[in-house]
Amino acid sequence: MDRKQRILLVDDDVDFVDLNRAVLENHGFDVATAFSSREGLDKVRFEQPDLIVLDLMMEKHDSGFAFAKTLKKDPLYRTIPILMLTAVSESTGYDFSQELDGYWMKTDDYASKPLLPDELVKRVKELLSRAKSEA
Amino acid sequence: MHILVVDDERGIREGCRRILAPEGYAVDVAEDGRAGLEKVRAGAFDLILVDLMMPLMGGIEMMEHVSAYDPEIIMIVITGFATVETAVDAMKHGAYDYVPKPFTPDQLLAVVNRGIETRRLRREARQLMEERDQKLLEVANETSKIHAIVNSLADGILVFNSDKQLVLWNPAVVKMLDLSGRIEAGRAMSDIISRKELAEMIGKAYLSHSAKYTMQSEEIELAAPEARTLMVNLSPVRDSGRELGVVSVFRDITGLKEIDQIKSQFVTMVAHELRAPLAAVEGYLSAFLTGAAGSDPQVNRNMLERAKARTHSLLELVNDLLQFIKLESKKVVRKKELLDLTGVLRGTVELLKPLGEEKGLRFKLELPDSLPPVEADRGEMEQLFTNLISNAIKYNVNQGKVTIRAKPGNHFLDIKVADTGVGIDEESLPHIFEEFYRVSDPKTRYTPGTGLGLSIVRKIVESHFGRIEVTSKVGKGTTFTVRLPMKQRMSEARNQG
Repeated sequence: MDRKQRILLVDDDVDFVDLNRAVLENHGFDVATAFSSREGLDKVRFEQPDLIVLDLMMEKHDSGFAFAKTLKKDPLYRTIPILMLTAVSESTGYDFSQELDGYWMKTDDYASKPLLPDELVKRVKELLSRAKSEA
Repeated sequence: MHILVVDDERGIREGCRRILAPEGYAVDVAEDGRAGLEKVRAGAFDLILVDLMMPLMGGIEMMEHVSAYDPEIIMIVITGFATVETAVDAMKHGAYDYVPKPFTPDQLLAVVNRGIETRRLRREARQLMEERDQKLLEVANETSKIHAIVNSLADGILVFNSDKQLVLWNPAVVKMLDLSGRIEAGRAMSDIISRKELAEMIGKAYLSHSAKYTMQSEEIELAAPEARTLMVNLSPVRDSGRELGVVSVFRDITGLKEIDQIKSQFVTMVAHELRAPLAAVEGYLSAFLTGAAGSDPQVNRNMLERAKARTHSLLELVNDLLQFIKLESKKVVRKKELLDLTGVLRGTVELLKPLGEEKGLRFKLELPDSLPPVEADRGEMEQLFTNLISNAIKYNVNQGKVTIRAKPGNHFLDIKVADTGVGIDEESLPHIFEEFYRVSDPKTRYTPGTGLGLSIVRKIVESHFGRIEVTSKVGKGTTFTVRLPMKQRMSEARNQG
């Protein structure tokens, strides 16, 4: 591999960012971080990540959806796989499949927090290889 | 039964008396129309036998007067000219029957008895009619009572009969469904209810398969005249199996719905706030145990420390939640006393000083020896100033300053807590008292907080009839001002001192 694959972590919880950065770096990924939607969108442009791990609930309870929609409308970035994470599960009334109807791609996925380190690495690798075969 | 015999022939008068008296009739006599009329007016007669041909006042004229006086008295004509013409003429003037002269006792009795029977029946009929009128009046009174009750209900009521025509309604429903101008007894449901789904809902109660329900309830959302949610209860009215109509009761549950929504939003936020730190702790511990973050002992130890810090902040969150719920509860017992806040302020600063000294902060207390008393719960005041002063420490810069200043105004005691910290941007300032709101600022990313501290502050201040104000400048610092009503005016306190 000519360069390390780059993961962008977008989450307002500093512990998640720090922990997942440590884990992903330990597994050979290059990691960029952002702590809000706005910072995240900037980082997408500057860092050109291969995959984004995105928190659903940031400044608003559905900030992650707004972030993803913005990205999926942009032809330059819509193919970047998104792994959406949330501490609030479906039991609180969110329906992930419907919220982004028509936007989700085969290379996107979601999981509820906590996503333990090994599982995170597994999901990230899966999505990256799916993205590679799609392209 | 009273009978009056009016005839100018004495023989007829006495003859009639002799025939009628033994039959149990009370008989009176008069010799001409005028005298007869006087007697009618003086007494209560049931039947009059009257001769047509008399001096002074004839039978026809007298009968006219009697009819005007009391149309129910039975009048029977005695006539010597028993022609069809005279009889018809007499009937026209109100006679019940006639007896041709000369007559036998049996003929007279037959006519009189029939007349008396008619009189009795008429009287009974009138009594029955009066009784019926009385009952109708009672029914009307009952109806107006029901109307008064129905009209006073806050719930809206619409009653349609089996032909879907309106029979009863109240002002509440007119307002709720905006029906003014359309409502009228007997009008068809389709003319009154313009909203299709509501008409369908009521229509459903008429369907035969609804017969097994005594009541059906459904919620309906109204957009006009304003956004409201109504609970509609539909009850078919039946009488021995026959459908009489449908009673619809409308209850406005908009307020309840709003409370429900606020509640579930709060629960969602709490769930998020509780799960996020727990998930972080589990993540750290799991990474430590599996070595997912590598083998650097410093990195691994650091993760455990972060997990511990997160556990601690979770405990604080639970404490804040309990405090918050306690303040929410209407039943909270406040032990309010007349309180000089200088003690509370000095005590709180002493308690928090070590925390501030870690950052090299200086504390400045600008307090007089004593403050005019405020009526307050000591425990809540300690909580209030602990939250404000610990914020002033947490969000301060190293080597910064925390100033606490209390100054009595005219009606309010103002206590200021000022820091020289990071400040709050204008966009965030209106939200800082909201539950779980946290300013997103890279400089305070690692500052632990529950997001409830200032919500608690606001609740305490409000429960003491006070106000909280905040001014802030990014990079310069933030000043919170708590304004509590004083028990006495400053001038009065001075006069007493």
